[in-house]
Amino acid sequence: MAAIATRSESKRPGSSPPDPGRFGTDRSESRRRIGGLLMASPPIIVVAVFVGFPILVAMAYSFGHIGGLNRTIATIARGQHTVDSWHKLTLGAYLDVFNDERFRHDLGVTVVVTLVSTLAVTVLAWVIAIYLRTTPEGARFRSGVAKLLSGLAVVPMFIPVVIASWAMLTFYAADGFIRSICAELGFQGPTWGYTMACVGIGLVWTHLPFATLMIASGVQSVPDSLIEAARDSGAGLLTIVRTVIAPLTLVPTVIALTFTAIGTLGAFTVPYFTGPNAPSMLGVDMVSYFRSFNRPQQSVVMAVVVFAVAAVFGAFYVWANFRSAKDSGRV
Amino acid sequence: MRRSASSVLVGVVRQVLMAIFIVALLTFIVGPLLWLAIRALATSWTYPKLLPDGWTLQWFGKVLDDPQLFSSIRLSIAFAVTTLIVSSVICLPAAYAFSRFEFPGRRVFLIGLFATNAFPKTGLYVALAALFYALNLMSTFGGVVLVHLLGTIVFMTWIPAAAFASVPRSLEEAARDAGAGRFRVFFSITLPMALPGILVALIMSFLASFDEAQGTYLVGAPTFYTMPTEMYSLVLNYPRQVAAVFSILLSVPSVVLLMLVRKHVMGGQLAEGFQIR
Repeated sequence: MAAIATRSESKRPGSSPPDPGRFGTDRSESRRRIGGLLMASPPIIVVAVFVGFPILVAMAYSFGHIGGLNRTIATIARGQHTVDSWHKLTLGAYLDVFNDERFRHDLGVTVVVTLVSTLAVTVLAWVIAIYLRTTPEGARFRSGVAKLLSGLAVVPMFIPVVIASWAMLTFYAADGFIRSICAELGFQGPTWGYTMACVGIGLVWTHLPFATLMIASGVQSVPDSLIEAARDSGAGLLTIVRTVIAPLTLVPTVIALTFTAIGTLGAFTVPYFTGPNAPSMLGVDMVSYFRSFNRPQQSVVMAVVVFAVAAVFGAFYVWANFRSAKDSGRV
Repeated sequence: MRRSASSVLVGVVRQVLMAIFIVALLTFIVGPLLWLAIRALATSWTYPKLLPDGWTLQWFGKVLDDPQLFSSIRLSIAFAVTTLIVSSVICLPAAYAFSRFEFPGRRVFLIGLFATNAFPKTGLYVALAALFYALNLMSTFGGVVLVHLLGTIVFMTWIPAAAFASVPRSLEEAARDAGAGRFRVFFSITLPMALPGILVALIMSFLASFDEAQGTYLVGAPTFYTMPTEMYSLVLNYPRQVAAVFSILLSVPSVVLLMLVRKHVMGGQLAEGFQIR
């Protein structure tokens, strides 16, 4: 895996051959290596113990294993499917969940909302990034506009998601701004509050800053000379974007896409505040199965399903990184 | 060079489209925030008017006098500060190691840290909560801090690691040649130069903890209600204006802190920190 090859290569620690004079003997070299590993290990241990391990334990639970660390939760849960020995497994909880028509519908809605809002975020971020990149240096008005655009795109980063969700709801509600201004202008406006439209809008809103920062910084690092050469040979803006800028910005774009998609898949606050009771996104379903219905096993099953969907997006990310490494001849 | 009529037309159309795009984006991004902020100062509101019936400051007093709401403000700050300290102790030395030492598995581990971001949040918290029952961490201060800590790990390792890596080694070597010890070099050369990146990471982490809602709700409720989780019930049980005031109070730290590092965040420290090397 690697990022933009041209930039990262020079900065990569250890990419230059070790200087024997500085590292001294082999022994001090290996002491440095062990020291480095020790210093680096605390966050790795935290992630292994509190991300990797619980996911494995939870997966075991979803297949019916209620011994060991799952014992406590299993004693308070309702409607479980269990097995009595370690080498068996039951798909009962999965059948429960997948036989529920509501879940199937919610899964479909979650995937569609994720795809649509990820696409919208990426398009918006690209439009802003291209506008920033193509603003000529001398043009005062345009660079003012460019500043405004890039400032606007990061505003959501300054606002807690809870607040953003609540703001979205009041803005698009039946007595919100959109309806009010439509009423002032003399026609009936749409009510988006408590609909999936509002959820989608809220998710785009909250994920825009990260995608814009990623993509804008990628587009910004495309060398001027390449763009000018393309322009000199008569290429229009769209051609330049398609043939010069886009291929060089593939990796940041895919990072933005993956992060937005994964964030959207696991979203709880935005759909909880702004969405309808049914259908809802899986983030909301998981929490209510866990807390309100006291059916943690089914909740964990949904989590596993969401992880599987996220893995598809993750694979896309790995593929893009691999391709860029291949293009630059490092694989 | 004279431009033809059609190319002028294309230019005009392009500018009009751009103007529409900017107005739409402005409404989309800032509109909801303004609409909410005005509510905090409104006596009441009649649909479909665009402004409230009257103006007042009474709702601010109401929030600050409510002991439950006030305690959630204190609790949020306590969680954020604790998380930040724990996260710094755990992650900053690691960030330095990732940027300065070559050890077996360096890249695998660095990418492995991304595991926290590769799992959709709610799913991860549900899996974690199941384990927390066994470890007696449900509805405890430590449990909530752990959830918050997970939200900061990627920020606190990746961004400072990129910042440390961008300090030229030649400067450190020059200082060492001039007779400075290892710690002297670190504190007078490396750390000051990497500081903007570290600052960005610290502030992003503080805010990640301060704004975290879903995990805190799942793991901390009903014992611990921070400001964001308080919002969940607030919007149902209090007048809308109170929720608006609370929203403003909750946004203040984020806005102030991010303003401080705005230049570095926009200048690419954040994006730089997320490129895999």
